[in-house]
Amino acid sequence: MTYLLMGYSAIFTLLAVYMVILGKRQKQIEKEIKQLEEWNSEI
Amino acid sequence: MMTVLSDALTIAGKDLRSEFKTKQTISMMAIFAALVILVFSFAFDPTNNAVKAVIPGLVWVITVFAGILGLNRSFTSEQENDCLTGLRSGPIDAASIYLGKVLANFTIVTIVQLISIPVLFVLFNYRFTGSLLWFVLIILAGTLGFIIVGTFLSALSANAKNSEMLLPVLLLPLLSPLMIAAVQATRIALENENIENAIAWLQLMSAYDLLFFAACLLLFEFIMEGS
Amino acid sequence: MIKIKNSGPIDRILFYILVPAMFINLYLIFIWSPVERMMGEVQKIFYFHVGTAWVAFLAFFVVGVFSVLTLIKPKMERFIYAGISAEIGVLFTTLALTTGMVWGRASWNTWWTWEPRLITTLILWFIYVAYLFVRKMDGSWEKIAKLSSVFGIIGVINVPIVFMATRWWNTKLHPVVFGEGKDQTGGGMEPEMLATMFFSLFTITILYVFLLRKGAQIEKMREVIKKAKNNVINKIAS
Repeated sequence: MTYLLMGYSAIFTLLAVYMVILGKRQKQIEKEIKQLEEWNSEI
Repeated sequence: MMTVLSDALTIAGKDLRSEFKTKQTISMMAIFAALVILVFSFAFDPTNNAVKAVIPGLVWVITVFAGILGLNRSFTSEQENDCLTGLRSGPIDAASIYLGKVLANFTIVTIVQLISIPVLFVLFNYRFTGSLLWFVLIILAGTLGFIIVGTFLSALSANAKNSEMLLPVLLLPLLSPLMIAAVQATRIALENENIENAIAWLQLMSAYDLLFFAACLLLFEFIMEGS
Repeated sequence: MIKIKNSGPIDRILFYILVPAMFINLYLIFIWSPVERMMGEVQKIFYFHVGTAWVAFLAFFVVGVFSVLTLIKPKMERFIYAGISAEIGVLFTTLALTTGMVWGRASWNTWWTWEPRLITTLILWFIYVAYLFVRKMDGSWEKIAKLSSVFGIIGVINVPIVFMATRWWNTKLHPVVFGEGKDQTGGGMEPEMLATMFFSLFTITILYVFLLRKGAQIEKMREVIKKAKNNVINKIAS
């Protein structure tokens, strides 16, 4: 039973980690878009 | 077809002549192989009789480790003075560059093996009783596969800044089936077991050699274009 | 202004299928499907184990396909799909290996056995981590696209050979080419188990497609922004 729990918690932790990584990339891109808009308004 | 071969021989001749002039790579590889043997003799006590079981593995460990040293230099040395650009812009097929490099590297690694394998046997006090013909055949088939994939990946990783680190990371997983076959076949040949079992492994090695030779020859063009 | 293509209708549909499917899947695994008599509850790892392993191999097959396509005609999109697929492949291979290890520990009392399928999966993992290293090289994307596609193709060719070699090795030098190996499912499966397994396969494949599309969109956006940034810099410079 503990092994079952271990297995599934490993699965969902790793999946969550990957989704967090994807989210971080998205955040980074949103930041860059904001920066670009600022630059554009300056011109 | 003939021009591809003759160009390949020219390139191999060029590499080997410049190598025999200094003998630097070969001597370094041989010394490195000897050092690996030394380290292994500390790890496994050579006076112990059970150590005979690791000899087939050691043969391949020293070949691969020493070989990677030489392969690292194979294409990065061409980058000095932009020799690679010269090779690429010459009227030569990419296939003949690859073929020439394979021939040169194969010769160099075989010479290193000729030195290091006897040293291994002497230092580990191993009395060779198997059939020499099969042993040599297995060693040649394994080394050829190693060089075929190794030369290709050496050209690939030469594009990176950290090519010395990249090459083993790329090469070792691809070599794993060849190494399994080579170590098993060498063990059978050394222990004088039923040679028929070794033939199955030898067939696997030849299939690996042929398959990767064809694939690398076809794909080498893209590496040359890319860099 | 920069136009950003956010998730389209396909992604929304995938998402609305994925979430309920995942919950149904968990219900099927933990409550609906019967408990295996020999191994007990631990056998329930099997459903996700098979699913992740299948997706891992699928992802690497996709890498191979996109690598060939990139070589035929280099396109940013193909290059991106190959990269994201390799990333997800590494993730699912890790999942398959960890679940396999946990299950092995529970039923055979060892974390690791040198069984052909395990070794093949492990070597696959190494090949595709190496593939990701090739993509991390610096240089123009056309160059990296060519180099990484070449490596991807070589890697895909290697997988069946690894499987053959490890199988021969494991069966103590008696070549078996195809046929029954060690049966991991423990003999025949009850229909409920089979149904649950197929549902897991379905769910995890949907998850893979969803992640692939999501990751590719982010990478494409990154490229668009890079171009826009260069434009702005050029404008400022001139």
